[in-house]
Amino acid sequence: MSESTATGITAIAQHTSGVEIVLDRVVKVYPGQQAPAVQDFSMTVAPGELVMFVGPSGCGKTTTMKMINRIIEPSSGSISIGGRDVLSLDPNELRRHIGYVIQQIGLFPHMTIAENIATVPKLLGWSKPRIAERVDELLETVQLDPGTFASRYPKQLSGGQQQRVGVARALAADPPVMLMDEPFGATDPITREKLQAEFLRLQESIGKTIIFVTHDFDEAIRLGDRIAVLSDRSRIEQFDTPANILAEPANDYVASFIGHGAALKRLALVPVEEATLGAAVGTSGAPTIEFAGNLRDALDVLVLTGLPAVDVVDEQGRAVGSLSVDRISAVLGAELPGRTAGSRAGAR
Amino acid sequence: MTVTTETQAIGATRVAEAPARPRFFTWRRFTTPIVVVVVLALLLLWVSTLQLDSIEQRTLNWSYITLRVGEHLSLTVVASALVAVLAIPTGILLAKTRSATVRNVILAIANIGQATPAVGVVILLAILWQTGYTTALVALVVYAFLPVLRNTMIGIQQVDANVRESARGMGMTPNQVLTRIEVPLAVPVILAGLRTALVFCVGVATIATFINAGGLGDMIVNGLKLQRYPVLVVGAVLVACIALLIDWIAGFAEDLLKPKGI
Amino acid sequence: MNALDLDGLLTFWGRRWDDILELVLQHLAVVALSLLIATVVGVLIGILVWNRPVPRSLTIAAAGVALTIPSLALLALITPVFGLGWTPTVLSLVFYSLLPIVRNTVVGLREVSPAIMESAKGMGMSPAKILFAVQLPMAWPIILTGVRVAAQLTIGIAAIAAYVAGPGLGQFIFQGLSSLGSKNALNFALTGTLGVVLLALVVDGAFVLISRSTTSRGLRV
Repeated sequence: MSESTATGITAIAQHTSGVEIVLDRVVKVYPGQQAPAVQDFSMTVAPGELVMFVGPSGCGKTTTMKMINRIIEPSSGSISIGGRDVLSLDPNELRRHIGYVIQQIGLFPHMTIAENIATVPKLLGWSKPRIAERVDELLETVQLDPGTFASRYPKQLSGGQQQRVGVARALAADPPVMLMDEPFGATDPITREKLQAEFLRLQESIGKTIIFVTHDFDEAIRLGDRIAVLSDRSRIEQFDTPANILAEPANDYVASFIGHGAALKRLALVPVEEATLGAAVGTSGAPTIEFAGNLRDALDVLVLTGLPAVDVVDEQGRAVGSLSVDRISAVLGAELPGRTAGSRAGAR
Repeated sequence: MTVTTETQAIGATRVAEAPARPRFFTWRRFTTPIVVVVVLALLLLWVSTLQLDSIEQRTLNWSYITLRVGEHLSLTVVASALVAVLAIPTGILLAKTRSATVRNVILAIANIGQATPAVGVVILLAILWQTGYTTALVALVVYAFLPVLRNTMIGIQQVDANVRESARGMGMTPNQVLTRIEVPLAVPVILAGLRTALVFCVGVATIATFINAGGLGDMIVNGLKLQRYPVLVVGAVLVACIALLIDWIAGFAEDLLKPKGI
Repeated sequence: MNALDLDGLLTFWGRRWDDILELVLQHLAVVALSLLIATVVGVLIGILVWNRPVPRSLTIAAAGVALTIPSLALLALITPVFGLGWTPTVLSLVFYSLLPIVRNTVVGLREVSPAIMESAKGMGMSPAKILFAVQLPMAWPIILTGVRVAAQLTIGIAAIAAYVAGPGLGQFIFQGLSSLGSKNALNFALTGTLGVVLLALVVDGAFVLISRSTTSRGLRV
């Protein structure tokens, strides 16, 4: 390994919290194919940002992601992580500092859970006690009891547990960057939701730069700081925050991807505190909504109870105000530059 | 001869391995040796009641039988060991060859090889070269080479692409992927191939008698030729018992050596 | 010691064409007969045991054990009772064919998905009707694969059966052995061996065709 490669790796490896990823005019043409799988893909991902690639299968989103750790070599263009050109680094060394989780998990069936998680630290030559400590720490991070699970084999775990181990394994060497390819795609809806919630909580504390590929737009809204909606050849149709994409889809393609109920999906993103509350109603026995909840939950309560307004309570359970349907839709209107709240309200 | 297990159809996935047995020591595990011991005891009992004539006495005695059993085992074990040493590395190399043509050609040759009758190989070698132990050994190696080669190749190729990709994605070098992931995961299939080879060898070693390479085939052939059925029966039963025992030991070794968790 | 002489081989073939053809046909006949018997018996056993765990594992274990017995030993063992020639040959070929056929029958019958079984039951089909109208047709490709493997196995074993005066190309191989040293030894052995190889390949090809024409079009991959 050349010296520059070595220092390049060190430069990436010294970070444990996220670093910037820049893709510049990246192209992938598979040999024997005329049309490129990925055409002129450029994107800058901020440190600690969780970017969702969402698009139909075959659109090149996975190919794009896999070029970052060079599982697939780009045909042209440049990719840098933390300012270092990844194409000049030794790919194996590089990958040891990029967490990688795939849908099929790919746990090594002949190794115990502990051995699976220890793979990268071992490759990096960590000492045994340090590895053991790290394995326990990670298992606890993903809410698996080390005493119970460390010495089990992958086939003895449920799908959701295996996926947690997959995430723990990717985090083992504390890489600044994580690449995740539909990591929760193969789990049932309930497990998926649980894993997503855990994952959000985890990301809050570790702050990695994450590229997350999914075909599930709702997952993208739920998890992403920003979403890149991709079409054929990994063309970026829109790259923005979930709220902005929902409020203002750039074109019909994006709109069709959002599907029906964009307003409802947006409401789920808006916390109650952003609405202008009315006076508390104080109906005894009526359901309330917590201040920390979101507007979709509030609307849910309104629709279910048929009441004109629902009380908002703070952490101590004291009513601090109330929400009505009008007040909720006013928030959506206010977020919409160019469309007035009045026109929306009038439409109703 | 094909070694497969209950859950697998033969032919479609001939290399597949048994599901991990939940418990290691069960009564079923020791059925084979118990049966073998009982059969051998019955054989001994039967022979001891016979009035042996001089021809039979010449073969049905301990020293003659031990000699033949020794020859038979030596042929089998030496040939299998040679096959393991030669065929496994070759199989690994072939599995890692980029050229699909080379692989397909080898697999086609392997398939034709499996269609070749063992007795033909043994006798042709004897005619073209010489008779005796070495020729028999070469014939055995040639013959048992194919299943091991094939299973090694298939064992490595059948490693789950996702497992391979996640190994690569974690930064393992191609060599590390091979030695830490692919080969360990191929072990059950390779062992199944070796077990097949061992059983092959016991059978083909019986034919070695035709080219004066000794073994228990001697007793079978002499018994047939001289119409001395006790000799024939003792030889045949002993060979069958050896085949069963070797298959049993190999199965035992398979379970011991295969990585846990598979 | 005995180098290959191509001209000699061709002359040999020219002169003994009739013999060769007869041996090939004999070989084919003994294999076909054995496979037929083994298929009937094997599928029957499979049908009897596929749904009974204990008999099933006992049968399959026994068949697996049977397959490890060297063919010369088995052939020799049954000659005192059944004499020489066709009888011991067919018997031992049937013996060795049973494992692949029984096992594949069992696997094939068991592989029919529970959903299909349930919908068949739901439509009011009796177990026998389900077996013959649903399970066996669906298991057929797998059973046929078992027969195909058995065919490969028995074509090779039939060559050894020539030692107990069994029919087929093995006779040439052993004639080569007994004329060791003479100039025709190699011709005999080579012709016998090559004949067996070719026969095995042709039969295997034939099975591909049979399997294509007898498998429901909906099951073909």
